[in-house]
This record gives sequence, C-alpha cells and structure tokens, in this order.
Amino acid sequence: MKALEVDGIDVFYRDVQAVWDVSFDVEPGEIVTLVGANGAGKTTALRTIAGLLKPRRGTIRFQGEDVTGMPPFKLVERGLVMVPEARQLWPQMTVRENLELGAYGKEARKQRNETLGVVLQMFPILEKRSHQNAGTLSGGEQQMCAIGRGLMAGPKLLMLDEPSLGLAPMLVRQVFAALKEINARGVTVLLVEQNVNQALALANRGFVLETGHLTLSGQTRALRSDPRVKEKFLGEAAL
Amino acid sequence: MQKFVIVALNSLLAAGLYATMSYGLAVIYGVMRIINLAHAGLMMLAAYATWALNDRFGLDPFLSMIIVAPAFFVLGMALYATLIRWLPRSAAGPSMQSLLLLFGVWLVLQNLAYAIWGGDTQSILTPYTMESVPFLGGRLGVPQILVFVVSILSLVGLNLVLRRTYLGKAIRAVTQNRDAAMLSGVNAGQIAAVAFGIGTAFAAMAGSMLSTLYAFTPDFGRSFLLKAFCIIVLGGMESFTGVALGALVLAFIENFASAYTSIPVSYQDAISFTLLVVVLVAAPGGLPGLWRMLDRRVVAR
Repeated sequence: MKALEVDGIDVFYRDVQAVWDVSFDVEPGEIVTLVGANGAGKTTALRTIAGLLKPRRGTIRFQGEDVTGMPPFKLVERGLVMVPEARQLWPQMTVRENLELGAYGKEARKQRNETLGVVLQMFPILEKRSHQNAGTLSGGEQQMCAIGRGLMAGPKLLMLDEPSLGLAPMLVRQVFAALKEINARGVTVLLVEQNVNQALALANRGFVLETGHLTLSGQTRALRSDPRVKEKFLGEAAL
Repeated sequence: MQKFVIVALNSLLAAGLYATMSYGLAVIYGVMRIINLAHAGLMMLAAYATWALNDRFGLDPFLSMIIVAPAFFVLGMALYATLIRWLPRSAAGPSMQSLLLLFGVWLVLQNLAYAIWGGDTQSILTPYTMESVPFLGGRLGVPQILVFVVSILSLVGLNLVLRRTYLGKAIRAVTQNRDAAMLSGVNAGQIAAVAFGIGTAFAAMAGSMLSTLYAFTPDFGRSFLLKAFCIIVLGGMESFTGVALGALVLAFIENFASAYTSIPVSYQDAISFTLLVVVLVAAPGGLPGLWRMLDRRVVAR
C-alpha cells in the first residue's frame, strides 16, 4: 500500500488553473521531493493534499483511503501533516505553546509530553527559547519550531513546504539533517523545494513541476545527472 | 484635585463595561474577520431578557446574567449554525455579504422586540439603583461599582479560558494564523461557532449590565456599538490588552470632556465618533500599531 497517491488532480484559484493533471505517489518510508521554480504550483499541490484547497478533478489517497476534499483536521488525525511555507507560527504565543498546540488532535494529545521530549532533543535551541514569543525567533529557529510543531501532531507522512526558504546555507544543512533524522525515525517525508540541488541530494525520488504540469520524475540519482534538470535548475548548462 | 480623582474613578468604572462590550466584537472579528453588526441588537435583547426576568420573577439583574449569558451563548452558536457559516470567507476583512447579513439580523431583532414589548421605554429599578457610597469625599454609584466588578470578573474568566484551555488556545491560534491552526488539526468551523457563541454571550452580559444603568427601547445599543467600534479600532482589533487600553482611553476622554469642558453629555457619541475618525486617519493600526511604530523608530536610531 502506498503512503500517498495523487491521481490526476486539477486545482484552481477561482478561475485560474494552477495545477494541471498532476499525478505522483509516495512509498512508505521514502523521502520524495517535489521541485520546481517559483510559481510552478508546488505549494498549491501541497495545500490541496493537506485539505486547504479542493481539487476540481482527480483523487488523493492516503494509506489506501480516498481522502479527496477531506478537511485538514481529519487528515491530521490520520497522520497526514503539513508544515506550511514561511513557517507561519502563532507569533503572539510562546514557543512552548506553539509546540503544544501542534498536538491538538485526540491521539497526539495523549503522547504530548513524550513527543515534546523527542522534539526538544532534536532541536535543543527550542528548549532555550521555550518561553519566548514565537514572533521573536530568528528565521532558522522559526523553521525548527514549525517542523517541531508538525512533529507534535504525530505524523505518518510529513509534508514540508520550502523549509530552506530564506535560511543561510549552514542552517539549510541543519534543517535537511533534521529531515533525514525524522525520516530515520520512520516518518515518510514529502518535501517541496526550490533549492533543487539539496532537495535532490536528500530525497530518494523526485518529481519536477513546471507551470502546473509534472514534466520529469524518477530516482534522484538519475534526475541529478539529467541534462534537462541541470540546465533548468542546477545552473550547469554552460559547463 | 478631588474632582479629578472622582472623574478618573468614574472613567475606570465605565471602562470595565466598555471592555466587556468590546471583547464580544473583538473575539468574533479575530476568528472570523467579520464585524458583528448585530451586536447592538443582541445587547438590546439581553436588556429585555434581564428586564423580563426581573419583572416576572423578581430576579436581580446581576443574578439573571447566570441564565442570560449561557442562553445567549447557545443563541450565538445557533446563529452561526443557521446563518453565519454560509458566508464566503475573506481573509482581507469583512465582506459586504457579512455586513449586510448581520445588519439584517440586527433589524430583525429590533422589530421582534417592537412586536413583543412595544416601543415604550423600559427600565429596571432595584433597591440599590439610586444608592451610592462615599469615596474620597465624592460618591460612587452602587450599580456602577457592581458593573465594574462583574466586568472585571468576566474579563479575567475569558482571559483564563483563552490562555489555559486547549479550546482557548485554539481560538487564539485561529486568530493569529488560521491556516496554521487548521494544519495543526484545529476544526476551524467548530472554533468559529464557539467564538460566535462567546461573542454573543459577552454582548448579552454587556446588555444585562447596561439595563441596570440606563433606560432602553428596542432601538437601544446603537451608541454603545459605536463606542465598541471605536475601542476595537483603538485597541488594534485583535489584542486582548489593546482592547482594555482602548476602553480606558475612550472612557477617560468621554468623562473628562464632560466634566472639564462645556460639551454637553448628549454630545458624548460625537466624542467617540471623532476619536474613531482620528484614529483611522492618524493611526490605522490602533495603539499597538502606534507602539510598534515608535518602537521601530527607537531601534532605527
């Protein structure tokens, strides 16, 4: 059984179509990345899977169950959790409150203190910032807090929207290392990234999205040496 | 000096009621980004409910809040379930549809009150309505003091719910970032229903308390809605302390204007309206916005 199957979804913002007939899948335990330029429809696709948008056509299956059009809170209960773009913390709540509220669902609430321990061990800086308002954190700390909040929900599949956005290279490496560790703990990861090079280095498989269409897919090893990917994203065309 | 202290105290007492009346609007705005224009109608309805309970059963208006507030909480949830939830969502601010719908609800409530109770002016007379206690050489009205105490209790209660319970934290989360709240498993529709219930219950408490201070007709509440608008704009729309500050500022300005200038009391509404316009033009972010701006300037230096 696949962790996630997206089958031919069309997504619109009012009358403008942003995603055209996109299909892809994620196997349990994998890291899969969805890469593409700004405005390619990556975020739209992810928000649709998370239940914030409804596809006009196509189906989404999570662990074999048809979840198309299901509201986000039901998806979170099932273990399909998204860490939104640009962190989107609750700025006037403390780091601790942000994390605790991540475990809002019934099941997650029972495990709250154990999960919190794991998250604080993974991101020790959050322990130090515990009683600070999330709005006062630096960009890197905010990203860690956002990932930590996602983990608090007890995800089976964790989807991340551009976790490297606006971070210094050293912090990007740190965040990607954390994703690797999360995956090693048994969480399937779906990563949306503009930072194509590093995303392909981390993931097992990749899909390339261009202006709303899926154009390339395959093992990341093959994608990284694909001339089309090199030309478009890795800036090695001249070499 | 003595006059100053008494006017300041009266302002403080008024501010408590103003804050209670405004939190109902602020909670609903925060969660749903709609302005509850029916707020005045709900205050009026609560005043009549309090009056009816007093008239029929001799129930004290302050005690009747124990019945009225929960009943209006349920009424608010029912309003949400039947009408409000169908409104299109707009992240930018109140949609035209929401304003028209809630204005319509206000009109319906008003005419319902005319149909049931007629247009005569009503008031509630209790043994302590005319009582006052000496304080620092002046006198403070007993109803005013009771209203202040109940207001503070209700605000402390609301604050505890918002800070300590999962439900309250979910309300704050939806207010601060709705998408993030939904992605953390918060059922935004359910939270909106509860928030509308809380907002309505606070309108009801304000209405019950107003009925101990003023006479009322089915048109009652309009000028208080205007004051509440002024306060939440001043307070920056979604911050708890901001609204309390806004209530204080308005109450002090109103009371001192009528005590120290020759502006007649009947012009009080003009004061809140002028203040509203001034704030919208000079500091659209309200007091918190002004604070942030000054803060940034200091940092920039």
